[in-house]
Amino acid sequence: MDILTQLKKQAEQVEVLNLQNEKTTVEFEANQLKTCTVAETKGTAVRVIRKGRLGFAASTDDTVMNKLAANALESAAYGDEALFSFADPKPAPIVQTFDKTVADLPIARLVEIGKEILDIVMPVEPDARCNISLERSITSASIRNQKGLDVSYQTTPLSIGLEIDRIEGDDVLIMYDQLGTTVWEENYLEFARRLVEQLKMARTITTIKPGKMPVLFTPTGTLTLALPLSYGLNGKEVYKGTSPMATKVGEKLFDEKLTILDDGTLDGKFASASYDDEGVPRKCNTLVGGGVLKGFIYDLKTAAQSGVESTGNASRGLFNPPEPSFTSLVVQPGNTALKDILAGIDEGILVENVLGLGQGNIISGAFSNPLALAFKIEKGEIVGRVKDMSIAGNIYDLLKNVSAVSREAQWVYNTFYAPYILIPEMNVAGKN
Amino acid sequence: MRDRIQEALKHSKADYTEIRIEEKETTRVAFRGKDLELANANIDKGGIVRCLIKNKGWGVATFNNLDDLLNKVDQAYQCAQVVSVPEPIELVPVEPINQVTTVTMERDFRDVSLAEKKALAERYNEVMRGHSDKIIDTQSFYADTFTHLTLANSEGTYIEQEKPAVVLASLAIARDGDNVQQAHETMALPQGFEYVLDKDELARKAAQKAVELLDAKPVKAGQYPVVIDQMLAGVFIHEAFGHLSEADFVYENPQAREMMTLGRRFGKGILNVYDDGSIPNLRGTTLYDDEGIPGRRNWLIKDGVLVGRLHSRQTAAKMGEKATGNARAINYRFPPIVRMTSTAIDNGATSFEDMIKDIKLGIYACDAYGGQTQLENFSFSSGYAYMIRDGKIAEMVKDVILAGNLFTTLENIDAIGNDFKWDNAGGGCGKGNQYPLPVTCGSPHIRIQNVVIGGE
Ligand SMILES: [Zn+2]
Repeated sequence: MDILTQLKKQAEQVEVLNLQNEKTTVEFEANQLKTCTVAETKGTAVRVIRKGRLGFAASTDDTVMNKLAANALESAAYGDEALFSFADPKPAPIVQTFDKTVADLPIARLVEIGKEILDIVMPVEPDARCNISLERSITSASIRNQKGLDVSYQTTPLSIGLEIDRIEGDDVLIMYDQLGTTVWEENYLEFARRLVEQLKMARTITTIKPGKMPVLFTPTGTLTLALPLSYGLNGKEVYKGTSPMATKVGEKLFDEKLTILDDGTLDGKFASASYDDEGVPRKCNTLVGGGVLKGFIYDLKTAAQSGVESTGNASRGLFNPPEPSFTSLVVQPGNTALKDILAGIDEGILVENVLGLGQGNIISGAFSNPLALAFKIEKGEIVGRVKDMSIAGNIYDLLKNVSAVSREAQWVYNTFYAPYILIPEMNVAGKN
Repeated sequence: MRDRIQEALKHSKADYTEIRIEEKETTRVAFRGKDLELANANIDKGGIVRCLIKNKGWGVATFNNLDDLLNKVDQAYQCAQVVSVPEPIELVPVEPINQVTTVTMERDFRDVSLAEKKALAERYNEVMRGHSDKIIDTQSFYADTFTHLTLANSEGTYIEQEKPAVVLASLAIARDGDNVQQAHETMALPQGFEYVLDKDELARKAAQKAVELLDAKPVKAGQYPVVIDQMLAGVFIHEAFGHLSEADFVYENPQAREMMTLGRRFGKGILNVYDDGSIPNLRGTTLYDDEGIPGRRNWLIKDGVLVGRLHSRQTAAKMGEKATGNARAINYRFPPIVRMTSTAIDNGATSFEDMIKDIKLGIYACDAYGGQTQLENFSFSSGYAYMIRDGKIAEMVKDVILAGNLFTTLENIDAIGNDFKWDNAGGGCGKGNQYPLPVTCGSPHIRIQNVVIGGE
């Protein structure tokens, strides 16, 4: 018997998630094609609410459905009181996440793309060592519940990761970038070309005197600021009282040049879909508008706990119940051209990558990181790479006053979209 | 199952074929604040086939459906056909092993009710919540996992292993106005339920540290002599040095190979470092690795000199060295890669008192809280720290982040304590996308001169 039908007789509410995934991976290690993998996963996760209590269980063994049902009911026997009910069937936006071109990409074509990337890197940097991972998946998910909700979707995530290592004597440089999409991208080599440009730029090494100076974060560098911020914008942290922004909706917390959205309806993005992982329609939610805190992200459970509506941000793997999670976090581009921002900097640094992203006391908004890849800006020009420096600060102070937000913006790892952000003055530490 | 596995291996046309089947049941209880987040059981069952065609490369198939192993072997073989390495891949020869191991737990957690496990996690949660009204949020986590692992290959190896694991974690978050601080304590062992009982102290310590950190001042950035405790020293040697001694990092990279040349001096004569999968009952214990090689002690640094590295059969063959028992995978969804097991700085001779007594101004840093390394550059946050003033431990400080270059830092280790300890913390090691792999770190206290401490 179908597990939904079976459990409906034993519990007030039932939700069944079926996941199926087929993934092909081609890996180049040290410029050589080494491994090809085909992975098939299949599993079922069940949530039940019985006598008002929530239970959960999951399994990848489809020969033990009775045990799965029993595990879910046992879990509910000890579960917490459920203040919410599973999703009502509702119409949702149309979001493109499946592309036949991606689904049909043969292994041979993935191998060819890997070689095309090597052809971009190796002529420029013959001593470089590239690790390339090309991954193409076809994922099917279906969510059903006792209310008659029955949604299913297919996505075709394609990701191409490129790591370039270059060791020259004592100078070690490791760079990474990634293309990620669920819809075939004609400019699929652009990310590799951009990384090679950076590699060229990193050849010149220079020094800068530590101290207070303007710091320009590139779109990737902006992750350093966005990570503590996203922690504070998560509805779960708000409910738990650990978000420093918990009671501040409607207050102007940041510079008016900052507008931040979470958008789960963008075509081609990994976390995009018509529905979230518990069947609530995905949406575009404004979190910060013109520096003013507008709201947080929620799933059904945390929304009910907080007395608000789900924002369609439930996300889950097979073995864990849903949690509020960001889809595509978008920092809106500003009005200033990048070249004008650079022109206004007499001496400062450009931060592309830090070491230990997310380390330190991020719940309080603090970060403190050595710079993995950063450049010196002198009289409006990027003049070379700086090494052995570090930055530290607190985003709740730094983002109150931002000098400029660039017109140019870029996707970072398919889940984050950001412009360049100029902080007028920050302490940059290093050896004198 | 054994017959079906052996039939599938016989059927394979590859030069080498390996099948690993994993059946795993996990029970978890998680409290967050006053709420129970989870009390449940999951079942995970699946397998992996790995085929090597020597002059082509590796093909891998992973799956949940165990009904058609022959088909999966074909699939992996087809994958290997696509690959083309410039030089044939060799595997270092080893003796096939035939072994079926079972474990007995003093108190088998599979016989303990979910109610009792929930009560246990709840009790530790209440210890934290009741510690102070400044504790605004907590996480109390219990998990047990029982894995039955079968490994067989076309060279005649057949190993069945039972692997139990219990994990406890306590995280406390304290707040005073805008000041929010956190502290955590974890433990994990390949043992039974008896090991997670009576651990109130673990939860209390997390809560106490979080509250104490509220009053700690941020450390002043600069260069200091630093004494680090066993846990931070263990994590340091694992993260900053251990990963570089994994042979897949050097075996095809001439520059890295030069950097890690055996015989190169890595520190003063007092420094000794090893990795050892054969020590029983540690989280990193690896009696047989995922290529079926028995775990053993591998010295990496002896008397300050680099003497060894960690291998899979492929890297060992390529470098003309012996297999070390370090090919490991986090689960059936991944092929094994070179990983550490239980890694340690060996015990030294200096007492803790002697180590700090001559330090006029320095830092005593404890516990690791995240960090990252990029080749020889590393950055670690310590969980909490104290100033050392005039040879004595003084006030607590926070936000202590150690950053630097591995080689200079190892060279600057000038005292090694006589108080060696394995750290049974939970969590695990990440490499590639395989996280978390159970590993153990161990060390005595160590002293390092001229460490750069970041900060505002
Ligand atoms: Zn590690």
